[in-house]
Amino acid sequence: MKHLKVLFFVVLLAVAQTAQAEGVVTADFMSSIGKIYVVAGVCLVILIALFVYLYQLDRKISTLEKRFKNE
Amino acid sequence: MKDTASNTIFGLAPWKWASMLILIYVFIAGWLVPLKPGIIKVTPEKAIAGESVVLEVTGYNSSYVSDTAQVRAWLRLTGDTVLLAQHVQVWDNRRLTATFYIPSVFPMRQEAYPLTLILDHDTDGTSVLPNAVFAVPAEIQNPAEMSLWFENKVERVHEKAGIQFPFRNILSETIRNTYFHVPMWFAMILLFAVSAWYSLRYYRKGDIDFDQKSVAFIKVGLLFGILGLVTGMLWAKNTWNAYWSWDVKQNMSAIALLIYAALMVMRSSVEDDMQKARLTAGYNMFAFALLIPLLFIIPRMTDSLHPGNGGNPALGGEDLDNTMRMVFYPAVIGFIMLGIWISQLVYRTEKLKRKLGS
Repeated sequence: MKHLKVLFFVVLLAVAQTAQAEGVVTADFMSSIGKIYVVAGVCLVILIALFVYLYQLDRKISTLEKRFKNE
Repeated sequence: MKDTASNTIFGLAPWKWASMLILIYVFIAGWLVPLKPGIIKVTPEKAIAGESVVLEVTGYNSSYVSDTAQVRAWLRLTGDTVLLAQHVQVWDNRRLTATFYIPSVFPMRQEAYPLTLILDHDTDGTSVLPNAVFAVPAEIQNPAEMSLWFENKVERVHEKAGIQFPFRNILSETIRNTYFHVPMWFAMILLFAVSAWYSLRYYRKGDIDFDQKSVAFIKVGLLFGILGLVTGMLWAKNTWNAYWSWDVKQNMSAIALLIYAALMVMRSSVEDDMQKARLTAGYNMFAFALLIPLLFIIPRMTDSLHPGNGGNPALGGEDLDNTMRMVFYPAVIGFIMLGIWISQLVYRTEKLKRKLGS
């Protein structure tokens, strides 16, 4: 369930980012230089999501380590 | 649960290092290899038949100046029915004007005549913009001008040397997303397949370990699937003009993800471990069996914006040439390996947790 929460969070983050991008970053910006910023956005979404997932996994392992020490 | 000491490099299995190297290569090559020259804009969009028209052409990655005198331009109606530009004037590397006379008669009868602009010179090779200009029929027609359509052919064209990705209209630079968006789905499908395989093994052997493995692969598969969906939406916004156009491919892949998300929800609602594992195994094999028609069969049966469906070719032709394959295949392999790696980490964590719990 915790994983699902994180996945949900990642989706929200991505949606919020693109939604925000509509306000701050204009359509002109996204389509400038042959729409290269779309590729940048896609790469960023992938990297951020993977890092968030790994961060959450790391936290999980840390708590396990703590429990292991206490027992 | 460590990797066995043998066969590791700095304590990590060689294939994990390989996945990192492959993905580093994919990111570098995917970003740095330039696109072939192309045409992004032609003004005016309309021309009246029986009159001369001066087209202002804006190029992309082009270098018109290097062959100022040799740039040739054609307007193509169909096949060999083409007009050669009477005059081409180069202004700078990305701007030129081409003067055409559009004959007042056309070899076939249509309401409007879409014309494709073709440019060719030695340095850039050939670049094409489909439907660059729409010709409106003339009021006074002179049948003698019919022959103008057949005087010239598109011939002696050049090909640009060196390694470049194809320039596709509308897509332009976003063609690079092929290396990032598409492998997400390949990875998801493979992870779900591995997961279904472990579910089958659980059914046969009843070992709870297989259940844990299959769940780890589902979790990471879901992550990749959601990434595929989100990156696809971002790409769609800038090529199809909407994040979600209710395209059959989008709908079906969303349903597929919802089926797997429902599996995780169902799993968390069952108390008993054995029952949980049995239910998961059955549902998971069913879900994977559904994945095939949802992703590969239904989208092919109707019209779709997405390449590879409804008559749109994918993985072939101009959308994926041999230069792109040199990045695309490593990207698929690299992301699949990364997915398996993360799945294993999830599995190892869950296993530790179970051991500590008991």
